[in-house]
Amino acid sequence: MPAATLKTADFVLHKVAQSFGLCLLGFILKGFYEILEAMGMASMNSSGESLKLCVFDLRRGQNEGQELDKILFFYPPDVTFSTQLSVIGLSEGLITFTRLFSPEAACEVIEAERHSHVFHEAEPDIWMVMVVEKNKEIEAIWRVDALQKVLKEVHSLFVMFHGSIRSLLDKEPSGGLIRSHFYPFITDYLNDLSVGKKLQLPSFRETLKERGTVQMLTLARDAALEVQSLVGVLDSCAGTLRCHSVILFHDLLVSTTLSPDDTVDLFTFSVMRLTSNALSSGTSSWSYLRKGTSLSQTSSKSTSPQLLVSSDSLPSGNGHDAGRVIRPLQHNKWIKGKDGFLVTDIWGKDATPTIWLHQRQERVHLLAYQHKCLTLVLLVPTEAIVNGELDISFVKHQVIENATAKILKVEEKLSKGWGGENAYHVSGYRYLLVDNDMEVSRASPSGKVATLAKETLLAVNKLRETVDTEKSRTKEEKDMEICIRAKNNAWAIARVTRGKELYMALEKASDTLLDATDSVQSFSNRYCNGTFSMD
Amino acid sequence: MKEKNSATTASTLGRILATCSKQAKDYGSCVASKVHEIEKDLCLKQFLALKSCMQHTVKIMSPRPSSSQTSVGSGALSHAYIQHPSLRCNVPESRGLFYDDANRLLICVTSSQVFSWETATFNPDVSPSVDSIPEGPILSVRFSLDKKVIAVQRSDCEIQFFHRETKQTLTHKCRAGSESLLGFFWSDSPLCDLAVVKTSGMDLFACDSAMNLRLVETKKVNVNWYIYTHESRLVLLASGLQCKTITGFQLSTAGVVRLPKFEMTLASTESNSKPIISAGDVHLVTVYGRIYCVQVDMEAMLLHTYRFYRDAVVQQGSLPIYSSKLSVSVVDNLLLVHQIDAKVVIIYDLFVDSRAPVSAPLPLLWRGYQGSDTSPQAASKENESPESSTSSENIVMYEDAWTFLVPDLILDQTNKVLWRVHLDLEAISASSSDRTSLLEFLQRRKLEANKAKQLCLGIARALILERRPATQVTQAIDVLVTAYSYSVKAGIYKELKNGKTTATIPTNDGASPDNERGRASGSSIDEEEEEVEMNLPSGSADEQQESQLSSPAISPDELYKFVFASVEETMVDESDYLVAIITEFLRSISAEKLKVDLNIYVMTIRLLARSKRFAELSLFTTNKIIEPSKEVALQLLESGGQDPRVRKLGLDMLRQLSLHHEYISSLVQDGYYLEALRYAQKRKVTSVRSSLFLEAAFASNDMQHLAAILRVLSELIPGFKETSEYYTFHGLLNETSSSVAV
Repeated sequence: MPAATLKTADFVLHKVAQSFGLCLLGFILKGFYEILEAMGMASMNSSGESLKLCVFDLRRGQNEGQELDKILFFYPPDVTFSTQLSVIGLSEGLITFTRLFSPEAACEVIEAERHSHVFHEAEPDIWMVMVVEKNKEIEAIWRVDALQKVLKEVHSLFVMFHGSIRSLLDKEPSGGLIRSHFYPFITDYLNDLSVGKKLQLPSFRETLKERGTVQMLTLARDAALEVQSLVGVLDSCAGTLRCHSVILFHDLLVSTTLSPDDTVDLFTFSVMRLTSNALSSGTSSWSYLRKGTSLSQTSSKSTSPQLLVSSDSLPSGNGHDAGRVIRPLQHNKWIKGKDGFLVTDIWGKDATPTIWLHQRQERVHLLAYQHKCLTLVLLVPTEAIVNGELDISFVKHQVIENATAKILKVEEKLSKGWGGENAYHVSGYRYLLVDNDMEVSRASPSGKVATLAKETLLAVNKLRETVDTEKSRTKEEKDMEICIRAKNNAWAIARVTRGKELYMALEKASDTLLDATDSVQSFSNRYCNGTFSMD
Repeated sequence: MKEKNSATTASTLGRILATCSKQAKDYGSCVASKVHEIEKDLCLKQFLALKSCMQHTVKIMSPRPSSSQTSVGSGALSHAYIQHPSLRCNVPESRGLFYDDANRLLICVTSSQVFSWETATFNPDVSPSVDSIPEGPILSVRFSLDKKVIAVQRSDCEIQFFHRETKQTLTHKCRAGSESLLGFFWSDSPLCDLAVVKTSGMDLFACDSAMNLRLVETKKVNVNWYIYTHESRLVLLASGLQCKTITGFQLSTAGVVRLPKFEMTLASTESNSKPIISAGDVHLVTVYGRIYCVQVDMEAMLLHTYRFYRDAVVQQGSLPIYSSKLSVSVVDNLLLVHQIDAKVVIIYDLFVDSRAPVSAPLPLLWRGYQGSDTSPQAASKENESPESSTSSENIVMYEDAWTFLVPDLILDQTNKVLWRVHLDLEAISASSSDRTSLLEFLQRRKLEANKAKQLCLGIARALILERRPATQVTQAIDVLVTAYSYSVKAGIYKELKNGKTTATIPTNDGASPDNERGRASGSSIDEEEEEVEMNLPSGSADEQQESQLSSPAISPDELYKFVFASVEETMVDESDYLVAIITEFLRSISAEKLKVDLNIYVMTIRLLARSKRFAELSLFTTNKIIEPSKEVALQLLESGGQDPRVRKLGLDMLRQLSLHHEYISSLVQDGYYLEALRYAQKRKVTSVRSSLFLEAAFASNDMQHLAAILRVLSELIPGFKETSEYYTFHGLLNETSSSVAV
């Protein structure tokens, strides 16, 4: 039955397609898939859940009978082992097969008629696979790259808090440790994606957004100097060892002293849990609390092997108190203390969170300070904290002592220049600007993007997919320009030039292609310093 | 060697202490009695007594202190000094020395002659001008402001005038018996030329060129004594039993202003004896364009200060006194209080609200030749030519015969020499620990602007090199930048390169006090009162014009050059710290809306790149903290060797600055031949030679690139196929690979 519905054209295998005839591969894969189907491994009769997410380690469970060992995480948790194994087995098969042709980068996605398999090799031999159901609803149209970005985000956030998966596996080869961490972590993460009872994956409606990038606040020079002066003070708050800091205003980044990668992770986390918006959303009627409890109920009901393992007492990754698994993404756990610092009991009572910085390869203590809409994340090197909480409170004292005046000044300056949520709206344009070098993006406010017609959004989604494909073909940065006319006569235009991308939707039906490119040109000159002025 | 030294020191100390045992005991018992409440300066009186005794002993024991140094006093430690050579005014048969503060003339009279020396420039070699006058007693001498007339007070009822050119003589007498003459002074107010103070009041006269005196106005006041200084144009008339009631007039160029009458403060004694204020107890002090009056209150051992406004006199607090005899000088807007008995001088800066002294009480020092105060050569040189100088033995500090002249001169009546008091800014800055207030202090100095400036630069450098907390350095930088910004606005600051300093001191029509007021922090009086401060003639203007620099203000460019650029090398490992400091510097500059040498941006990029802070470098650039310029862009390109993202920033900057040639060359260098060609074509850049592309492509060893560019060029440029370039590269292409078709 499922095999009969499979069509050759449904298979698109990126990467491999570069070196081989698509048709030939399709046939091979069809045969491959059919074999798997026959073995009952590809059965997708899930319990109404449209999403499956699994993490597995190819180095584990190589022997017959030990297959379960390779599963590190599976969502939804309440599916049977055989289903889990069939999904993972299929994925593993595809990976092994495609590696024959492209050992460096195996498959990224497999599109079947009813499902999309999105692959992400998070760490060597550790794979994250997302299986999404293609239902008849029009909303379920997504860009593979956007889904992959979700996987990447989960992973990098996980690494930021717990360290790499491989290191946890090495620490505890039975896999119990990693499973006990994964389960609450990914569930907490997915919780953020759920709307009502359903998980809302980044669909075409979010095509003018870029996950895994930072949104920045544009600063006037004098404000920037004030900010930088504050950064200088924060830098030296722990004595001679230099602290790092990330400063946000509302949900926008103001300053960072971290590498782009680390900034993205910390920014993502801050926007999720620390900023004034994140803190206040906890108290709104759309309560995380309610959702959080319902989720933990389901998890307690479930009888997945992961959970059984997690109930075992194992040393936690952070090494705080043994047996307790830290859930950094837990909802409603941060509150603003009297001294302006944000406090949480996630890491234990009176314990300061620590995170792992990728670039510096060091663990740092995380202190968050908030004044109105200004959020400061201060990262103190662990070497500076010798006497535990005593030193932490010293650093806090230093911040209050030395930086308060500057914080007030910066907040005042930024509030004065704050243009509100629609500050970056450019009337007549719906756009997305991505700077891949700095991992920074800027887009039309979502409220404005929502006014676009569905056809336009679909066209932009299509456009972005095309650019994704083009980009994945070559490692080199190249310039390109693509214009698509949507069914409703809207223009979807993409311009890519040396690491920077501009996507734009222009809905004025009367516009000719010339008008549209002129519009892009003037936008580029006015808002992008002429970066995208190509002709 | 060292041990020997310390041994001699110990024995010396022993002998000194034996001599001063009483004073030592006094001091010790004072400390012992107050040990529970002990605080600084509590037993200062006793301490000073002990100190002066010890100094005296040392002097006796080593009668030639110039063996190692040419200074007199307690070693070389002092903040103020008088310097050799002095102005010698020893005239045979001298009958007295006078000082005309309006003309800054030192006057020596004999029975029939008047010798006068210019002191404004204080040139010891200046020769006196000599005038003959008829014989007679002389109580005081003053030249008219145009120096054409010499006025001599003969008795308490007679003044004689002598015209120096026409030799005309005029005698002015007052009613004998009913009133007596106290004194007189010349004025430059439009109303009158001469003011004569009598016990019954003050007469103002106009005087024409023919020396006819015409009474203009009479101010009726009972006067016991009066004081006047030309620099303040202010005359204070004291009346009353205790001479406490003061009536003041200012005879400025704006007219004659009567000040409100005010009473001086005197502590009441337990006995019924009422102390009387004498003229010597009151001094007019002019600092920072403000007029103060300081008054000695011996009973309370306090020096009261009053500040004059046009229609108010406000008491400003009091300074402690440690001596029964006291005098004041003003050097470079600083108040020097000479505690004559204790033989020390205490320096106050009335600009700041705090009445704490600028530095600890230290003796006035006598110095030999300029700049060689501690070199033995100078001492020996001096000994070889004893007749040319006052040898050190003759100088007794704070001798009774010393007269303190306004503002900064000391007349030694015994030796008939005139000294000028100098400040030792180096010593003051060396003894100050609070660098921020020290910098503020130095920035207010005008007399030795260059030295103050160098000291400021040195302090700023030291702060950074010592790696002081950023907040401290920031404060220091703020002080320097605001001072510069102020002096630019006030028009005081002039670039060094202008050579001849033509700096103008702001005229005194209320403008300069207003500026001062703007700078004064928290002088609450100013805000309370609406009225304009008293007009003040800029008496010291000529003095300042002579000094090379009129202001110690340091421009941002100089700060960059002499502070940041000079510490860069030594701070290689501390670039994080240096960047933080530079950021603060830029912030400070931007707050004052000033500009700075763009090399500081280049340096910032270098520092950030050195510590691999590329993300921040990008932030600095996108936020325009680092202002775009060609130099900056080129530095970005250079630093971008380590990080392509930074290189891109540089490329973008070149493009935004429309530096086509550099942009195209960089693109070509990075291998973006076609982009570069397209850009050149679009912007019609003709300055880039076509061979640039060809050579770059050839150098890259990619024959396909070369072929493509040859093709594009031959299509773009008409007749390109006929050029020698085409032949050369076409030939090269064919040689290297025949497989690529052009």
